[in-house]
Amino acid sequence: MSGAVLSLPVAVPLLAAAMLVAMPRRRRLHLVTGVAVTGGILLLGGAVLATAVGGTVLTLDIGGWPPGFAITLAADAFSALMLTVSALLVLASLAYAAVADEGGPLFTPLTLILSAGVYGAFLTADLFNLFVFVEVMLTPSYALLTMTGGGRGAAGRIYVTVSLLASMIFLAGVALVYSVTGTVNLGELAGAARHSTAAALACSVVLLALAAKAAVVPLHTWLPRTYPAAPAPVMVLFSGLLTKVGVYAIIRVYAVVFAGAPQYRWVIMTAALLTMVIGILGTIGEQTMREILAFDMVSQIGYILLGLALFSTAGLAAAIFYLVQYVLVQAALLVAAGTVETSHGGGTLGKPSGLAHRDPLLAVAFMIPASSLAGLPPLSGFIAKLSLIQAAVAKNSYLAAAIATAVSFLTLLAMIKIWRGVFAGREAAATARPGGRPHALRAARPALIAPGLALAVPAIVLGIWAQPLFTAATAAADGLTSTAAYVQAVGR
Amino acid sequence: MTAAIAVGILVAGGVFLILRPGLARITVGFILLGHAVNILLIAADGAGRRGAPLTGEGDLARMADPLPQAFVLTAIVISFGITVYLLALVRASRRTGKPDSDPDDPGPSQ
Amino acid sequence: MGVVLVVAALSSMGLLSLVAPLLERFLGRNAGYLLAAGFIAVAVLLGLQAPTVLAGQPETASWPWIPALGVSFSLRLDGLASLFCLLVLGVGALIMAYCPRYLPHGGRHGYIYFLLTLFGGAMLGLVLAADLVLLVVFWEITTVLSFLLISAAGSQGAAPAARALLVTGMGGLALLGAVVLLAVITGTTDLTSVLAARQQVLASPLAPAVAALIMIAAFTKSAQVPFNFWLPGAMVAITPVSAYLHAATLVKAGIYLLLRFSTLFAGQPGWSLTLIAVGLITAVLGAAQALREHDLKALLAYSTVSQLGLLVAAIGVGTTVALAAAILYTFAHALFKATLFMLVGIIDREAGSRDIRKLSGLMRVMPVTATLTGLAGLSLAGIPPLIGFVGKESLFQGFARASAFPGAGVVTGAFAVLASVLTFAYGIRIFYGAFAGPTLQRRLYEPSWVFLAPAAVAAVASLVLGPAVAILNPLMREAIVNVEPGSVPPHFKLWHGLTPELLMSAVTIACGLGLFVFRDRVDRGLSRLPHLGGQALFDRLYTSTFRLGAVVARSAHVSSPWTYLARPVAGLVLLGGVGAGTLGRLPATAGQRSQPLDWALLVLLAAAVAGLVRARSVLSAAALVGVTGLIVTTWFLLAGAPDVALTLLLAEVLTAMVVAFVLRGLPRSFPRPRRPGTFAAGVLAVLAGLAAAGGVLALTGRRGVSPTGEFFLREALPQAGGRNVVNTILVDFRALDTLGEVSVLGAAAMGIMLLLGGLDRADSERLVAPYRFVLGPAYRVLAPVTAAVSVYLFVRGHNEPGGGFSASLVAGIATGFGYLAGRPGTAPRWRGPGPLIAAGLLTCAGVGFAATMAGKPFLAHFSVPLPSGLSVSSTILFDLGVYLLVLGLMVTAVTRLASEDDQR
Repeated sequence: MSGAVLSLPVAVPLLAAAMLVAMPRRRRLHLVTGVAVTGGILLLGGAVLATAVGGTVLTLDIGGWPPGFAITLAADAFSALMLTVSALLVLASLAYAAVADEGGPLFTPLTLILSAGVYGAFLTADLFNLFVFVEVMLTPSYALLTMTGGGRGAAGRIYVTVSLLASMIFLAGVALVYSVTGTVNLGELAGAARHSTAAALACSVVLLALAAKAAVVPLHTWLPRTYPAAPAPVMVLFSGLLTKVGVYAIIRVYAVVFAGAPQYRWVIMTAALLTMVIGILGTIGEQTMREILAFDMVSQIGYILLGLALFSTAGLAAAIFYLVQYVLVQAALLVAAGTVETSHGGGTLGKPSGLAHRDPLLAVAFMIPASSLAGLPPLSGFIAKLSLIQAAVAKNSYLAAAIATAVSFLTLLAMIKIWRGVFAGREAAATARPGGRPHALRAARPALIAPGLALAVPAIVLGIWAQPLFTAATAAADGLTSTAAYVQAVGR
Repeated sequence: MTAAIAVGILVAGGVFLILRPGLARITVGFILLGHAVNILLIAADGAGRRGAPLTGEGDLARMADPLPQAFVLTAIVISFGITVYLLALVRASRRTGKPDSDPDDPGPSQ
Repeated sequence: MGVVLVVAALSSMGLLSLVAPLLERFLGRNAGYLLAAGFIAVAVLLGLQAPTVLAGQPETASWPWIPALGVSFSLRLDGLASLFCLLVLGVGALIMAYCPRYLPHGGRHGYIYFLLTLFGGAMLGLVLAADLVLLVVFWEITTVLSFLLISAAGSQGAAPAARALLVTGMGGLALLGAVVLLAVITGTTDLTSVLAARQQVLASPLAPAVAALIMIAAFTKSAQVPFNFWLPGAMVAITPVSAYLHAATLVKAGIYLLLRFSTLFAGQPGWSLTLIAVGLITAVLGAAQALREHDLKALLAYSTVSQLGLLVAAIGVGTTVALAAAILYTFAHALFKATLFMLVGIIDREAGSRDIRKLSGLMRVMPVTATLTGLAGLSLAGIPPLIGFVGKESLFQGFARASAFPGAGVVTGAFAVLASVLTFAYGIRIFYGAFAGPTLQRRLYEPSWVFLAPAAVAAVASLVLGPAVAILNPLMREAIVNVEPGSVPPHFKLWHGLTPELLMSAVTIACGLGLFVFRDRVDRGLSRLPHLGGQALFDRLYTSTFRLGAVVARSAHVSSPWTYLARPVAGLVLLGGVGAGTLGRLPATAGQRSQPLDWALLVLLAAAVAGLVRARSVLSAAALVGVTGLIVTTWFLLAGAPDVALTLLLAEVLTAMVVAFVLRGLPRSFPRPRRPGTFAAGVLAVLAGLAAAGGVLALTGRRGVSPTGEFFLREALPQAGGRNVVNTILVDFRALDTLGEVSVLGAAAMGIMLLLGGLDRADSERLVAPYRFVLGPAYRVLAPVTAAVSVYLFVRGHNEPGGGFSASLVAGIATGFGYLAGRPGTAPRWRGPGPLIAAGLLTCAGVGFAATMAGKPFLAHFSVPLPSGLSVSSTILFDLGVYLLVLGLMVTAVTRLASEDDQR
């Protein structure tokens, strides 16, 4: 496995997108191409992961220039894991969009460009290049969000403007970093922020921007405001990718540039705890399924940051395990929510109700990921929370462990709220549409539920058979606590 | 020094504008902020040199750092693209009848 | 061998649960009999281990599950586990045999059978678990299954199910916390090792927290005060569920937990006192509440709560005798409670009512049922010779000999007697209702013997095992030894001689009879007491949590962008403040100072920005934006960035053009903002400006030349073949950035295409351009000139300021100009911007990919040999791709933003 393959996740989706733009009417071709490209990248990611878990860091010096001066792509276990999970999510999203019949002729090319940005962001070892790839990821997202009428109003405006502001702060931060240190290569920057206050300050600007993109409290309010306005498949895509790139970048910058600086960990810990608590409070306060799930994304980011704040191998491994299983669980929940909306008339709690009787398959498709999110065994979420709490206690962060447990309880409360609002209880009387015909009291098409069920399977599998993912996550965590291999591969 | 003041002025003006109602004003605000970041990037040349980085036209030691200039070029083009998109969004939201800013938008007093 | 059987037993339960719906499909409700047989078979499987286990050698099986966390899948069958397995499987079999006649004929019962069987398996797993995490897993699984079973009661089950899930779920989390703490203290999650590490655990400062968490978990599961309110609510579930889960097994899980961890904590003052206090209070209050109830099921529920309280208190006492009593009474209680529930179910079915006041003189119409009810009632009340009496006797014995605190024996004994008196009172009422009094319901008839059989088995067992309690001795003794290693367990027998316990029992019976005789007065007195209700508090907590959540959620539902935008800015200001406070000595400024021309530009800039901030009309704002752009362009020129200046200038022109297109649809002036809002925005803006200026001042211009910059300056000509260093960076050294950037442009163009419908060919013909009379002729001259300039800029870009960007921006100007001049058709003639974008992206990415194909790193430059002996550098091709893409974006903007107002 040579580093040359690292260019493929960036180049191939762009080429495919270009091709598809030239042929806008062939819907079947779009689907096949999108699935083929993403599936290929998924396999590639798995292969790279297998190599990286052993400790090697694959690198590719773009353009063949000596490392440290130009851009280098690098894949350690962390990057490879994120790459693989993202590809899986894009695949699921494409499949769901196809069955939900969403998206016009430009959906697949935009998704492909977005995915190229995501993969590039995970693989790059250069701060400015990271900025560019984040833009590559965000610009299609603007287009996808404003694709339909719902996204063109306030939600679209807010999303684009907040994103733009965060991007500008990001660029300013990169400028300051270059100004203080003279380089934007992550390998060259290793440890700079730990020893120099000026560099730490410059990097903090970068981290601030990334925190805004990752919806960390108090910069979180845009997420529940804007994501629910997107069509359901688009929200599935966004949920698993955009904020996760932000979190990945925060972890990477903190591990490499700050070298896990112990003196600043309290900042991350505070942010993590605030995010968890405020996020879950907002979650239980919302009234429609997708808004609840959007706010809950904020809360879950807090868990991941908690693992970062602990900065032990156990803590980081727990955070990465959490991140991976959470991406899939959240996607499954959103697919279920989307299906409830399209097939049963809206996702407001209480508007459809009694769905457990009408549509038992959909109820199961919701209940499994919801139980995982709430941390009920033997699902993946339970294992993830267990490992996080254990890591916290092992580092004597009892308050953090207690808050994490309490937030988990409140997550259970939120899921019960959805369950009682939408699924439990008596069936609502058939609501009449304007025009006379009552809303069908049938179950949703199985094709609409299938992607959700497929995504729910990892929640079960990763819970019962968690060890393989843990091995990968521990390898990734090792690469973060001791960054020597990464820095050596990437720097001069 | 002048770079710092220039950035400060542009940031102040830009931030003020983006906090006002109306997508058109916000767009102008972002344009100003973009200028600010670009000036910052050019000022990120560590040694404050001012020669144009064209090989063969002067002393290498006096040439400005080309890397931030490349960054600025990339940033200009990216923000140009997004600005055009923003303007299209302004037009589209007018077309669909949605107000450019909400009529009862109270602004930062809330 | 034994290991295999243990594993087989557990797996069989799993398989059985999966098979259950299938059985139901074929046999209807009679599938219950087969399931009962299944339960018994599993019990036999485990029973084969009896000889080894009772001899003191537990069977263990263990596999690694999550080595990363040190968790393994371990099972262990010892005495205590065997006892509970017997309970779970025995009562389970009875319930399964009861279901077929209880469940209505016809109807779908596969779900209930599935859940009940699965629940049995989960309980089995809970008591067999030898790894703490596995224990938590099964614990939570039983919680979820209980939730599902209560929910199956329909819409009235929704709220009780949620309450049960939340309360027991909270307990589950407490247990998880305790487990994690124990794992950290002892370094392992293996139950046996943890229980053996008594000294280590007690010495740790975390020990009180562990004990408290375990107690909370047990209290929630076993419905102790103040968590007791979920259990009576759970009675909406069907009777088999109430009998199995909420009398015999689920609620006993807490007792099991306390028994297990008595090995660690027995005798510790905090543990003992809390358990005794909570247990006895629950016992008394629960019994009092039961005495007030008229609904038989609710009565039994409160009775369960009360009896569990006695068990908890006995475990709290912690002496060998008390623990032994608790173990025996667990068994006894399960027997008579299950019987009672089953019989209540039968009566409910027959009479359609569960009101105890209507239960009178059953003897005459349902003799067998009445007898069984009476027997169970006697066992509950603690009348010899039933096993309920033996159990209660040993409990009294344990309480009387308590030594947890001075006078413990008297206090606990007194409370226990009080609780038992009340228990006796309602127990004897049940008995009385069965046998005496006028027969109020003449319509009742004896149910079929099949229906009665399970209840009969349990009732007879209660009767027989009283005198024959010695049969249970080996099992009980082994269980006690498991809980308290090294102890000498007592022998159970019916008659111990004249002892204080006997006296206590006598007092109980006497007082209880008294309460019964004066029952009317008792009822009146009790009805004046306040209702025992943690439920109101819980509900209030529930709603206030939601209300708090709604407040938080409201912060994210503002419609205007400013709150969302203000937050990151505030963050920047904060960072600025932090920086001001923490930055120590900065290195000296390097390089040239500012020149006077800089200051002049600065003044102009300030004026322009000030004008922009105060602009009221959109037109003036657009003009000032242009001015600002020019100032910044000049700035870049002075700073030695000619390429940047050129690009910025062209971009400004193009932006102005696009603004002109959009302008037509905008209102003349900006919306009028409010006064206070302006002030806040102003303050934040000034602070942000200061922070930014300070940051730039402090962090820029203070180092020497960077090695990267030097590298590029040196190597641009020799290695990349270009004099314009910036251009070589863009298309050669850091081409990946440029590739990303053109993708952004492509995506932006696609976004515009999605936002605004396009003009197709036919419409574009009908366009009437606004300025065609003026600009049309001019265009004819300017178009070729612009094209030539564009090509020139493109070609010279590698060595002089210029390049793909600038060139394409010039071409873009031509396109826009063409539209204004009435020649939309002179924009590219093909259908839309799609092909342009596709071509551009394909070229750029393709060039990079071609390098990979040629074995070089991605985006490495190479030369494409042409037939005529010349060669084209790949970077020119790359630049061409950039050109096409930027042009594509401009074409998109022109064709889409061309307003429909222009169409006539």
